Amino acid sequence: MRTLRATLSTLLSLLVVFPIAYAISASFFRYADFTALPPRLFPSGLNLGNYVRAFSESFLARFLFNSLLTAIIGTFLRMTISIMAAYTFSFFSFKGRNALFILIVATMLLPSDALIIANFMTIRALRLTDTYLGIIATSLLAPTHIFMLRQYFRMMSVEYREAAVIEGCTDTRFLTTLLMPMSKAVVLTLAIHSFSTIFNDYLWPLLVTNRTSMRTIQVGLTMMGFSEQLDYGPQFAAITFLMTPILVAFIALHRPIIESVSIRFTGR
Amino acid sequence: MNSNRSIRFKPYIMILPALLLVALFSYIPFVLTFLNSVHSVSLGGERLAFVGFSNYRRLFSNPSFHASLSNTLRFTLFFVPTNIIVTLSAALLSNRKGWLANLNRIFFFLPMAVGMSSMLMILKMMFNPTIGIINRLIGINIQWFNDPDAAMALLVVAGVFLGIGFDFLLFSAALRNVPNDLKEVALINGANGFQIFRHLELPLIAPTLVFIVVTNIKNAMLISAPVLILTEGGPFRSTQTLVYQMYLEGFKSGNYALGSAIAIVVFLLTFTALLILLHLERRRIYYQ
Amino acid sequence: MKRFIILATIALLTIPMLFAQARKESEPYTTITWWHPNSGLAGTASEELIETFNRTVGKELKIRVEGVYQGKANDVLTKLKPILQSKDQRDLPDLAQLDGSAVLDIRDAAQLITIDELAKDDPGHLSRIVEATLNSITYRDRILAMPFNASTILLYYNKDAFAKAGIDRPPRTLDDVKTAAAKLRQTDDKGRTTFWGIANVPTTYELMVWLGHQNGLTYLTDYENGHTGAPTKVLFDENGTMVNFLTRWQAIYDTGSLANLTSDLNGAFASGQVAMILASTSNLSTIASMVGDRFEVGVANMPMVDENATGGVNVGGGAIWAFDTGKNNQRAIWEFLKFATGAEEQLKWHIATGYFPVNVDTYELPEFKAHLQENPLFGVASRQLMDSNPKLQGLWVPSAYQIYYAFQSGILKMLEEKQTPQEASRAIADEINGYLQEYHLMKAR
Repeated sequence: MRTLRATLSTLLSLLVVFPIAYAISASFFRYADFTALPPRLFPSGLNLGNYVRAFSESFLARFLFNSLLTAIIGTFLRMTISIMAAYTFSFFSFKGRNALFILIVATMLLPSDALIIANFMTIRALRLTDTYLGIIATSLLAPTHIFMLRQYFRMMSVEYREAAVIEGCTDTRFLTTLLMPMSKAVVLTLAIHSFSTIFNDYLWPLLVTNRTSMRTIQVGLTMMGFSEQLDYGPQFAAITFLMTPILVAFIALHRPIIESVSIRFTGR
Repeated sequence: MNSNRSIRFKPYIMILPALLLVALFSYIPFVLTFLNSVHSVSLGGERLAFVGFSNYRRLFSNPSFHASLSNTLRFTLFFVPTNIIVTLSAALLSNRKGWLANLNRIFFFLPMAVGMSSMLMILKMMFNPTIGIINRLIGINIQWFNDPDAAMALLVVAGVFLGIGFDFLLFSAALRNVPNDLKEVALINGANGFQIFRHLELPLIAPTLVFIVVTNIKNAMLISAPVLILTEGGPFRSTQTLVYQMYLEGFKSGNYALGSAIAIVVFLLTFTALLILLHLERRRIYYQ
Repeated sequence: MKRFIILATIALLTIPMLFAQARKESEPYTTITWWHPNSGLAGTASEELIETFNRTVGKELKIRVEGVYQGKANDVLTKLKPILQSKDQRDLPDLAQLDGSAVLDIRDAAQLITIDELAKDDPGHLSRIVEATLNSITYRDRILAMPFNASTILLYYNKDAFAKAGIDRPPRTLDDVKTAAAKLRQTDDKGRTTFWGIANVPTTYELMVWLGHQNGLTYLTDYENGHTGAPTKVLFDENGTMVNFLTRWQAIYDTGSLANLTSDLNGAFASGQVAMILASTSNLSTIASMVGDRFEVGVANMPMVDENATGGVNVGGGAIWAFDTGKNNQRAIWEFLKFATGAEEQLKWHIATGYFPVNVDTYELPEFKAHLQENPLFGVASRQLMDSNPKLQGLWVPSAYQIYYAFQSGILKMLEEKQTPQEASRAIADEINGYLQEYHLMKAR
């Protein structure tokens, strides 16, 4: 029973990881390796030609830079805006608080994919095409984040903050020295989520970028044009180059990542 | 007095960015989308004349839209159960102790580390019928991009690979919160693995399950990137989904009126699906 | 931690500014941007073209060309259209390489600079351009764009398979295709097809020819395929050309030797899964390199629908469109277009890709003749075009993408659901008429 479970689990996990492993292996394939019979899982030799071509025929570094920059700034702004709003809704009482909260959170039901045509027209009218701000503009607000953060913040009593303010503590200090350390796990989880959402976005950056130098990696990868002639080597090389650092980071940090998810998102 | 006033305005100022953003990128575009869907709209995006529901009427008699609607629903129907079964099995199977289990878990969430378009490009090349590894390994020549059923299956597979990392983490976190002593008691009392899952683990992970089902349905109904990168709606529109057709009408044909009408349909569909689901969930909780 | 993030963000933000700064240094140059859909072998060739220009003529005249690959031809159009419609000059490229599906959307754009305007003071060059290619892009006596990647559709066939099946020449009509395909088909012991006679699902590119060349010349839509105005309805249903074609196509399908493939046809052909495909001459170099020495590739004229279908083929491929970006780049644009369509460069482009040269002088170059001698397949496209009715022109329609799929799905539906050709023709016509009317709704005030 126990062995059966371990075997099944291992088989399934190998299946899940297969595309990643194959991509790494295939990045060293010579053209003939793709058509060899029986099919090859491993390259015939350590052939670096694909990497040379991937780098000389595209702007990989620039694409990656654009993606990292937009994802980092986007995450930072998105978290700042969400935390500020969630903090206000949790600790302040003011006229229209509930109505405004519902106004913001209700947009969870307006998927941005369905609003893409109108949003595109807005971005064009604001002359934000081909800018970093244009790429991140529509992802700056995450109603789910505001909702979850408020749920979390409300576990702390309002008197806490009032007492701190009477003691002369500013809101900024209260937020940074007390509330943030306390909610590190949830903030980190939401930040990782934001980062991967912005980093992985495809249709929107495709629409709002025209210049090669502004493309994000997600768009750039599909526009490399090698695959036309089934010339897959360089494409696999580019993908391997991009995913390796993140793969290494994920493997190294697997414990904190798994734990940060287990703290929030589940049950209560 | 002055500081008093600034205190009174402070909360509003702190939520101002969020309010501006919801106005600019959610409510205004939603109103515009709705207005565009009941007007005729020029190629330049100006509303020309109010036409009532005639855009919707034309849309509902358009064969291309019929295809999109049925493909989107079919995809949701195939994808959500497949994804839940695969990710939940992964979480259940790897919920053990030991280095091997640990390695399995790393493998299960690793797809999360691969960017979306990287993953899709990898799959596109692996499933190429001519030189892709999949057909060569299984030894059958499946025309993944030429056979409508195979193309739909490919989209489902792609959806699972894109989603498994995060969904797996959620499931396995929920499972780890199931107290071990409860399971041991059940085992001593002669419960088998399935009974433990059905009567002990399932009720406890139910909130997570609902969360994943809801997000999966929403994502499935809004699927666009895998369609754009893998199949471009083909063959014969068999993978053309609603959001993809919205992109075709809005951006490829410049038909903002029809594109907006599709957007409203998409919005109504996801909204209804989520409402039904939340309603069911609420009823279930009352019964318990 | 927070301070670190802020500092890191600022540092990251400054790097692109450095990039921008570096580019400003070389200011005396006029820079023009060229959006193109060339990838693979064509991509390499167009990069070389740009590089050669920048190194020679460009350096002399202080002009720099920057190529931007924007995906497939219809992706270039998707990017371009919203910019043109907003009457905005920002973001606009100086040059964009587009195919026939773009014409209707672009030809009335205010920012368009026609080739006549560019060649006003320097008309000599236009007399060196192949007339048929100029005609294919002329609207109301204005040359809208510069022919550059000109092609025609061709039949590619596996000569070894033909020899094995005892067929000595490529099919001339669709009836010949039927006979040949049936002979070429191979099955395994369970009766499953292992080698198909022909793979194709006819759509816009094929039907422009197969409907257009019937009875010498037939238009698919009113306004002469959109060349004299915006089409309002299709004609192929009422004039019976579609039914005539579909009847013959269904006969091929009934032999069991037709594969309904829509993607990766080059791969299926090159890997020996199918004996015949229809593809543009621009695929010639790509297919040749994919096939290698696995078998001998043959290239022939596009088969005729029937003996009366004498119209030949239209000029396909694309042209380079010029736009006014408000920077007064007209002279630079014209210099580059002249260079790109010069005799020498068209020869290199032709050899690298298979597109036929648009410059008449290219055909006189000794290198051209030597190359043709060694690779006779490269001559089929231009010869086929010379035998065609010059009035047979490509289809200029709105919503080209949707119309493309309407043809494809309509034909598949007929084959799989056993519709009659009449029913299929009617259904396709209705759907496409819908798209044509959509366009007029968007125009009407």
